[in-house]
Amino acid sequence: MSLISVILLITSDLLTATAALKNHSDRLTIASVSNIFRSKILSKADIPIKGKITDQNSGEALIGVSVKVKGTNNGVSTNASGSYSLNAPENGLLVISYIGYQTLEVPVNNRETIDILLVRSNASLEEVVVVGYGSQRKRDITSAVSTIKMEDIGEAPSRGITQLIQGQAPGVVVRQQNGRPGAEFQVRIRGIGSLGAGSDPLYVIDGFALGTSTGQNINPNDIESITILKDAAATAIYGARGSNGVVLITTKNGKEGQTNLNFSVDYGIQNIPDSRKVTVLNGVEFAQFKKDVFMDQIRYFQNREPTIDEVPISYRFPEQTKFSTNWFDEILNKNAPYTDYNLSLTSGQGAIKSMVSIGYYKEDGAVIKTDYDRFSARSNIGGNINKFISMGWNLSGTFSRQNLANTDGRGALIGQTLIMDPREPVYESDGTIRKYIGGSDGVFGFPNPVFMQNNIIRKQDIADVLSNGFLEFALLKNLKFRSSINARLTYDRSNVFVPSTIGVFGAGLSGAPPRIATASASTGELINYSADQILTYAPKIGENHKIDFLAGFTAQEEKVKSVSGSGNTFPDDLVPHLGAAILRSSASAEFGWSLLAYMSRMNYSYKDKYLFAVSIRREGSSRFGAKNKYGNFPAASIGWRVTEENFMPKFSWLTDLKFRASLGKTGNNNIGNYSSLSFLNTNNYILNNAIAAGITVGSFANSALEWEKSDQLDVGMDLSLFNDKLTVTAEYYRKLTNDMLLPISIPAVSGFTSGLSNIGKVENKGFEFAIDHKVKWGKLNIRNSFNIAFNRNKILAIKGPNDALYNGNFYGGYNVQKVGRPIGMIYGYKKLGIFNTQDEINKSPRQDGVIPGGMRFLDADGNGEVTYDTRDMVEIGNPNPGFTWGHTLAMDFKRFDFNILLIGVQDVDIYRSIEASTMNMDGVFNVLDKAKDRWRSPQNPGSNPNAKNSQGGTNFFKWSRESSERYVYDASHIWVRNISLGYALPKIKNVSNARVFISATNFALFTNYPGNNPDVSQRSTIEGGNDDEAYPVPRTFAVGAKLNF
Amino acid sequence: MKYLIIIGSLIICLITVSCKKDFLNKTDSTRIGTELFFKDQVQVDRAVHGIYGQLQGITNSAYIFKEMVSDNTVFDFNPLDRGGAAGWEAFEFSTVNSGNGEISNLWNSYYSALYNVNNTLGKLPASTITDASKKEMDAELKFLRAYLYFDLVRYFGDVVLVTKTLETPDEAFNLLRVPQAQVYAQIETDLKDAIISIPVKHATAKLGRANKGAALSLLGSVYLTQKKFPEAVSTLSSILTLGYALSPSYADVFDPQKKNGVESVFEIQYQGGNDLGEQSNFMYIFAPRLSGGAITGYANITPGGRNIPTNDLIAAYETGDLRKDVSLKTGYTRNNVFIPIPFINKYNHPHTIAGRTDNNWPIFRYADVLLMLAEAINEATGPATAFAYLNQVRARAGLAPLFGLDRAAFRTRVLRERRVELAFENHRWFDLKRTNTPAEFTAFMNVHGAKEKANPTVGRGGIAFNALDYIYVENEYVLPIPASQILINAKLTQNIGY
Repeated sequence: MSLISVILLITSDLLTATAALKNHSDRLTIASVSNIFRSKILSKADIPIKGKITDQNSGEALIGVSVKVKGTNNGVSTNASGSYSLNAPENGLLVISYIGYQTLEVPVNNRETIDILLVRSNASLEEVVVVGYGSQRKRDITSAVSTIKMEDIGEAPSRGITQLIQGQAPGVVVRQQNGRPGAEFQVRIRGIGSLGAGSDPLYVIDGFALGTSTGQNINPNDIESITILKDAAATAIYGARGSNGVVLITTKNGKEGQTNLNFSVDYGIQNIPDSRKVTVLNGVEFAQFKKDVFMDQIRYFQNREPTIDEVPISYRFPEQTKFSTNWFDEILNKNAPYTDYNLSLTSGQGAIKSMVSIGYYKEDGAVIKTDYDRFSARSNIGGNINKFISMGWNLSGTFSRQNLANTDGRGALIGQTLIMDPREPVYESDGTIRKYIGGSDGVFGFPNPVFMQNNIIRKQDIADVLSNGFLEFALLKNLKFRSSINARLTYDRSNVFVPSTIGVFGAGLSGAPPRIATASASTGELINYSADQILTYAPKIGENHKIDFLAGFTAQEEKVKSVSGSGNTFPDDLVPHLGAAILRSSASAEFGWSLLAYMSRMNYSYKDKYLFAVSIRREGSSRFGAKNKYGNFPAASIGWRVTEENFMPKFSWLTDLKFRASLGKTGNNNIGNYSSLSFLNTNNYILNNAIAAGITVGSFANSALEWEKSDQLDVGMDLSLFNDKLTVTAEYYRKLTNDMLLPISIPAVSGFTSGLSNIGKVENKGFEFAIDHKVKWGKLNIRNSFNIAFNRNKILAIKGPNDALYNGNFYGGYNVQKVGRPIGMIYGYKKLGIFNTQDEINKSPRQDGVIPGGMRFLDADGNGEVTYDTRDMVEIGNPNPGFTWGHTLAMDFKRFDFNILLIGVQDVDIYRSIEASTMNMDGVFNVLDKAKDRWRSPQNPGSNPNAKNSQGGTNFFKWSRESSERYVYDASHIWVRNISLGYALPKIKNVSNARVFISATNFALFTNYPGNNPDVSQRSTIEGGNDDEAYPVPRTFAVGAKLNF
Repeated sequence: MKYLIIIGSLIICLITVSCKKDFLNKTDSTRIGTELFFKDQVQVDRAVHGIYGQLQGITNSAYIFKEMVSDNTVFDFNPLDRGGAAGWEAFEFSTVNSGNGEISNLWNSYYSALYNVNNTLGKLPASTITDASKKEMDAELKFLRAYLYFDLVRYFGDVVLVTKTLETPDEAFNLLRVPQAQVYAQIETDLKDAIISIPVKHATAKLGRANKGAALSLLGSVYLTQKKFPEAVSTLSSILTLGYALSPSYADVFDPQKKNGVESVFEIQYQGGNDLGEQSNFMYIFAPRLSGGAITGYANITPGGRNIPTNDLIAAYETGDLRKDVSLKTGYTRNNVFIPIPFINKYNHPHTIAGRTDNNWPIFRYADVLLMLAEAINEATGPATAFAYLNQVRARAGLAPLFGLDRAAFRTRVLRERRVELAFENHRWFDLKRTNTPAEFTAFMNVHGAKEKANPTVGRGGIAFNALDYIYVENEYVLPIPASQILINAKLTQNIGY
């Protein structure tokens, strides 16, 4: 807000100056930066008029408002106090126009003082929105587009771009799958579109189509706005990469006529709230558990009461257990700091606008010895060189460093801390750290996670340079040619060293160190460049018709090269580098892709009432078979602004109503670079005791491989009421993905088990709704912005009508892709309850090896036996949410502003596969707190043994870890993702604006899901909702300040 | 207007620069495209080496299906980790079902190797290699095809027979199982072709590739399995004149220092002690799981505890049999404590790098040929002339010669001799199958199961057997067709009972 006043101050100064000049010389033509107007000899009948122009709502004086006599070039602008004066005919008409306000015509009526109240305009309709290869007025748009302006989303911490999108647009589901510093979030636009070719959207930065990821390395502080293109009419111009939606990112540049120096600093701390920690047994409880399990097994298998002396001494007296370690807590940073510094200079004075910024971001992870930092620098510069040429050039570079850890999964850091023996201390009594933990009493051993984190080296550095520039020529009055060259260069380096002192996961002490030390190192480089040649033509053909054309050509190529090495067996652990390894091997890789495309688009509107747009792209890709290199991607859309119709009564409350519909075809080419070709794999042999180079054929060649195509229909409505105070967008879509690029299982007798093929069909349809409401009570402004989306997907065909694809495994949960069903349904035994007695077992379908306390599963095929394979498994959960929603509430009152973001996901299931380990009742692992309420005997079955998620007894292993409904949890949740409270400080000398704020990210979570993060999903997109414990998601509290000079 | 000209030429130049004809033709420069290969001798040799490389993979896990599944070995039961229960352990307990992951790996690896055999065979005619060499390679490839199908038909019964390269994946959906007899006919045809042109002895540089002895041994075994005894006798007899002999010492046969010795007919080649990735690691798989480095010499690799010799097998050795100590040990010493868990010793030799042993795996050796011949003669014409061959093998083992047995007694003795002479060399399961009817075989295995249940070779840490463990039924004479393959192609039939 204060930014605007600065702009106004500067522009008004400029305009006053120009006005003064004008009065001195009638012949002098002066162009201000915002308006061009010429003076004219005053008419004799004119009278002097003066007045003040203020905002109708706030009563604030408006500076720089243009006041013009209609039909002449006679005009002035208001000064710093909102006043103007000019001469005008006594019966003339004044035209008052101001950006962001409704233009007003005021008759002079022989008055000498005319004070005017201006009403804020339909800002959203006049707003210009960035679209593919151009921009468009929001009112003219006939496709499904969501825009996110950074100024609207409060003080989000700048982890990365994907975080900014979260909760802001309907149908755009952003999941923070883990809490790893610097990690990108998963973005899905309108569901999962593909079973085999990836479902990530295309990211475009300042016109440069980067690919399905921006990497970690764009500084979010440099972003001005993000536009998300959702339907085919909007994305077809991106052809074969448009199927999963397109995210257009626009970076900041200088604002018209002003110079700004901004400095901001944030400081925060992150930690895992106790409420989001998984609770396992402590030392005493675990000893008790071990003891009870031991005794229960004697009772069951030997049918006698054990004596206390039989219990191994180490857990015979649980209350005497000396240590109790919470291993998960041991690897957490109590208050992990993050800091973010940004300094930027923007200038919009004169013909050339520019921006330079530098930033430094550092985040310590919630897990010890993990962190991420990023240096970034950016410069944007551009403007009109002269009438003919304008240009722009953006250059940004980032360098990031990361200390990583192998965190995700049962066998990795996070999972192991939950199942390690809590009776073991971290340190010896003399304070030295212990290297290996557990391994006695039949408990599995693990390397000490604290020791691991302090001794394993796992680093990654990435340098990322992005450059895009354009030259634009105004060839004719309405004909422009723009040529742009974009390039990205990244360089990454990683190295890993695991010293010999790190043990491995193992039964008993079998994994105790020393192990063979290993090291690896790799460096890679990526170059991606594209050239766009775009011709635009927007002829003026009368008041009622607006038309513009675009024709263009683009070519893009990417090349990636890497070398890597690995080694093992070191003479000692003192030189943690690959070069010191005794055994070493190396590898290199090189790959790339290219595309060529021709595109064309036409937008036409009649009387701003009937809107039409058509576009087509013809694209060729190196990734496809020789027979299908090229594909065509057309789209068309129409819009009807009902409020412009004459028959439509003019209601004061109905500001705008638009209906629109679109249809189009887009593609998806994320299938790997050389899938249509067949290559040889190395498979050597030994002959005469010497190496004999050998090869085998790696895959089927498929020269017919072609585009995965989506046909998408979108019907939408944009409604604006009460002068834009309330806007509503509603949307229905249906997307059919055909010729899916699917790694289809083929009979192994062909020599191969899978091959990519264009088969299958998926339907996504859904409804999206967004509402935005602004209200003002005195000095309190409130904005509510709510969106909700329902997406339903269904597999319509795979290969044959009964085909199904199974992903996952017997002990970790399956996801099944079945014709007629949603993508990735969770699959396993259906749980009917528990067998309390042998009698119940005898009366049920046979379940080989099950004993009392075991879970009773459904004999789905009704053959009298629950077989130990997939034949009796059924769908037991749906990982696709019923609906998702986001709600932003923003308020400002005097100098305070407040912003809160809520995100919800409803009716979604997660297969919590980690519980096969954390509820492993053999006594080989520590177990969850809820194990205390387990089944122990028919007389003592626990409080609710038949509950869906209860596990059963401790006397058996079979029928407890198989893929079953017992592991399926409802993960519906509401996140309070972000809260911020800001305060604008009173004016200080030389500081035009100063603001301080406090914020909290991932502030609160409301869910019944027992894990740390209900957004987790550790397998591929089509194997949704599998939780094997990932890097936990922290809560962040931050304070910050922004200074504006 | 001059701007227009400048810009016009700029457009043209930009478009033409990026429009080079091959702009959209990208290939992986780090790998060889299939269509460019199989042109000359060196390339075809590499393709053949690749198939042998695949045989290494097949051999690495063959002990599960050919040895551990039999009465010769069990495994070192781990009460703490039941992860193998639905996989490899099921073979020991006879609880294999069609969803077993090892089964689908087995099926896939054989057909993958067969693809490469067929593909290379198909590329031979158009290659530039000499006609003489073409014939030799054709013979060798047909041997490999026969070898793979002989295993498949014995594992699964009726199997899918593919003898050419498929053009598209779709064709594979029409390939269904054919009767065993048809598979055996193909095997015999291939082997008869092979023995005509395959070299008696390869050039030294090719030492390790299949030769005439291998082809004849395989054909002999194929005949024996089909009970075509006269053919088996004549085929196996022709190996006697090829220059093979028994090694003076039984231990030498398995000594990596003496690889491919005078007794070796065909063995899968491995090489340890370096970084080439061609090592074997059988000892690490077979050593008892808590033996640490007591057996392998390297404590930092946890042994697998699989393929543990049964008490029954240990008892099968006659007193004074020199082979016993070479083949197995009845326990190991760790931290000065003797642990009485037996283990295979044949493949246990000093090596320089942890986890990388130098041991080859014998497929055919002369002792096997002699015992097959003895068996075939006994079945064809009675034991009279068969004793000599059996006694050659016994003599080397330090055992007294046998005389005067009748045909049935000789049959029993020769099978028992095979059991100890060829112990842990992946013969036992198929020997039991071919010398017993399904009913006899089932009964025999149930006796073994009952023994193990009553008195397990390795303790089970208090964990009871499941009800279906060690219950053998007749249909288990063949393995199930992998369920995953039937899911992919519903036209593929399953074996009865699975």
